[in-house]
Amino acid sequence: MKICSRCIYDSNVPAITFDENGVCNYCKMIDDLKEQYKTGTSEGEKNLQEIVEQIKKEGKGKKYDCVVGVSGGTDSSFMIIKAVEWGLRPLAVHYDNTWNTAIATENIRKVLGKLNVDLYTHVVDNKESDDIFRSFFLANVPELDAATDLALAETLYRAAGKHDVKYILEGHSFITEGVAPLGNVYFDGAYIKNIHKQFGTMKIKTYPLMDFWSFMKWILVKKIKKIRPLWYITYSKQDARKWLEKDFGWHYYGGHHLENRMTAFNHSVYFPQKFGIDLRNLSLAASARAGFITREEALEEYKKPPYIEPELVDYFKKRLGLSDETYEKVMKGPRKTYKDYKTYKKRFELLRPMFFVLAKANLVPMSFYIKYTSKNEI
Amino acid sequence: MITIIDYGMGNTGSIVNMLKKIGVKSLITSNPEEIAKARKIILPGVGHFDRAMEKINQNSLREILDQKALQEKVPFLGICLGMQLLTKSSEEGKCPGLGWIPAKTVRFHFPQESTLKIPHMGWNLVQRSTPSPLTENFETEHRFYFVHSYHAQVEDEKYSILKTEYGYFFDSAIQKDNIFGVQFHPEKSHRFGMRLLENFARL
Amino acid sequence: MLKTRVIPCLLLRDESLVKTVQFRKFGYIGDPANTCRIFNELEVDELAFLDITASKENREPNYKILREIANECFMPLSYGGGIRSIQMAEIIFNIGFEKIILNSYPFEKPNIISELAQAFGSQSIIIAIDVKKNFFGKYETFGLSGTVNKKKKPAAWAREVQDLGAGEILLTSIDHEGTWKGFDLDLIKQVADSVSIPVIAHGGAGNIEDIGKACSKGHASAVAVGSMVVYQKQGMGVLVNFPDKNNLSKVIG
Repeated sequence: MKICSRCIYDSNVPAITFDENGVCNYCKMIDDLKEQYKTGTSEGEKNLQEIVEQIKKEGKGKKYDCVVGVSGGTDSSFMIIKAVEWGLRPLAVHYDNTWNTAIATENIRKVLGKLNVDLYTHVVDNKESDDIFRSFFLANVPELDAATDLALAETLYRAAGKHDVKYILEGHSFITEGVAPLGNVYFDGAYIKNIHKQFGTMKIKTYPLMDFWSFMKWILVKKIKKIRPLWYITYSKQDARKWLEKDFGWHYYGGHHLENRMTAFNHSVYFPQKFGIDLRNLSLAASARAGFITREEALEEYKKPPYIEPELVDYFKKRLGLSDETYEKVMKGPRKTYKDYKTYKKRFELLRPMFFVLAKANLVPMSFYIKYTSKNEI
Repeated sequence: MITIIDYGMGNTGSIVNMLKKIGVKSLITSNPEEIAKARKIILPGVGHFDRAMEKINQNSLREILDQKALQEKVPFLGICLGMQLLTKSSEEGKCPGLGWIPAKTVRFHFPQESTLKIPHMGWNLVQRSTPSPLTENFETEHRFYFVHSYHAQVEDEKYSILKTEYGYFFDSAIQKDNIFGVQFHPEKSHRFGMRLLENFARL
Repeated sequence: MLKTRVIPCLLLRDESLVKTVQFRKFGYIGDPANTCRIFNELEVDELAFLDITASKENREPNYKILREIANECFMPLSYGGGIRSIQMAEIIFNIGFEKIILNSYPFEKPNIISELAQAFGSQSIIIAIDVKKNFFGKYETFGLSGTVNKKKKPAAWAREVQDLGAGEILLTSIDHEGTWKGFDLDLIKQVADSVSIPVIAHGGAGNIEDIGKACSKGHASAVAVGSMVVYQKQGMGVLVNFPDKNNLSKVIG
């Protein structure tokens, strides 16, 4: 078992390689991104300000000039506050997969209430939502929550499209979270559609599926851009949390993505127990890589078992209608990946040059280009 | 382990749920043999006084309950109608009650001009009266959910452990030694009810 | 003293929560049990559930969902929708609901009210009265989710059901429902003043002041809210919420 000498990613991480100093290729990817975006430097800040001004310009005369996805979590709450601070007029967008906790909804309410920002929500029919989750579970793949991620992306586009907004702001930070290895978190419309076709039991009517042509429509026809401000400026999660708690009465839910029960199950039970991967490694590796904590501290924290809300597993089984036998069978079953099912990956690889251009134009995130269009996943 | 008496009147499910939430195991039973092994007992109750007393007097329930409460003195908690049954009698019916606590059950009586509606229904505050382990660590504005048209009236203030105001102050919780009665529904009162049930479980 | 109750009233359709506007136009709100869990964490005083198509579709209540809901909630619960017999009522009480709500069936068989009151006590029987204003501005009572005009005046029907043993009345203004424009205070006052049992005002709440007015001007004993607690704002996205307790106590004490 080899562990990177700089962060804490180990050989379990898909597509990982180590250079002669033992530093992994994911560290290198982050360094490259940092160089590209001039993160945390005055040049990076300047670039971001230019983008913000551009957003304001294009948004003149419209009700909103950008949309921001909110989940009640740290990053998105911080993002919406900054957007308002920069003088933008955002529409907050939430995709409700019907597994939210009260903390999440309350955080959204408090932050948006204080900032006087409007909220657009897409709620999927709970039975459909569960049918899709169940399909992914029975498919033995890691992406239990991929459906939520893709649905949020589509919902953001729809909200932007509805109000003729050309910019989506995302609160992703590669400094604090790294970039998730593709082998752990792959999602596209074909993947979801095909897994659901194979394992699902009901028709999809309210789930916002983004198939290839929708994707093309949003980026080529509607030309809606995705901006990740936290790629340009310094960002500390701890500081963000303190600010949120003090000024907005926001509450921390105890762990990355634990504000939603499905994600909580995914991160604290499913991934560690079935795939031997503790997704806390993403943020811990990133913190170590960036020097927020030492590599030893990160490894120490990683060794401690993740926090699991009591009765979470029971709730999961009950809600998805899984018998104990079926649950055990999957948990102890084979470890499949997106490569075992039909996806758009090949198509994305073929269109690599086009996506490079689109990434440069901010029409797709650079990390999408890096991971999805490369034959090596990185 | 708390034993909840099932005598066909009263919502046992919610009580089990809340006990589960605070980590206390419980057992619902109508079987006198199982009740005989009980270490703590809850007597729920919703409905008519006479009908409840009839059901208790049948099926050897009366004997085993008397024994557990009066002889063995296990902690015993009556909820809502279950509390009223602990008194000597009720204006609602003709049957005598269990008579374990010196009190009687009367109907709310308001002057003609009063606009107060009966039943007393909704959330209301409680005030501690005679100290009791059941009411320890209550918040300053501790409240519970009430829904009743009749209430207890103790013969001596020492038996009244909580008072509530609805038109006038009435006894919302009573106690004699190991036997407790609460007029409100702790199992429907969020964290306030959980605190009370925790206290009971700890006795 | 007794707090005036503010009760989220959630609508069940198939196995999902929805919200309507004037009894039409469904919007998805989410999963019933998870939404309840959120209200539970927000410590609301009471919850009411209405299965809005049960009577119209002539089917029984969905006991499975009711069980899931009852397992999540530590506050009083009421349920209405398709209740037509003592047996059905008993099942619902055993599941863990405190009160049942009847709307359409009592028109067919008014005595069901007294039968239920005898068996379970008046305080657990709520009669829902749905009202629309007709072309001439007169109030009329409707059944079956607002589709059948029963040609009864609300106040008169309210007195009838009170005499039969109802414990409370859930008075809904179909015209105001889902509109955020405030309660129909005249309607509420008319009915509340003609009976001695509590009247729960429902339909139109847009803000906390509306809640206060329903009590002070409409003489309602309690208030049921729908859109206000499931949407962020009027016309905006779904966001389960409940008014702040301090703000509420300022208007209702």
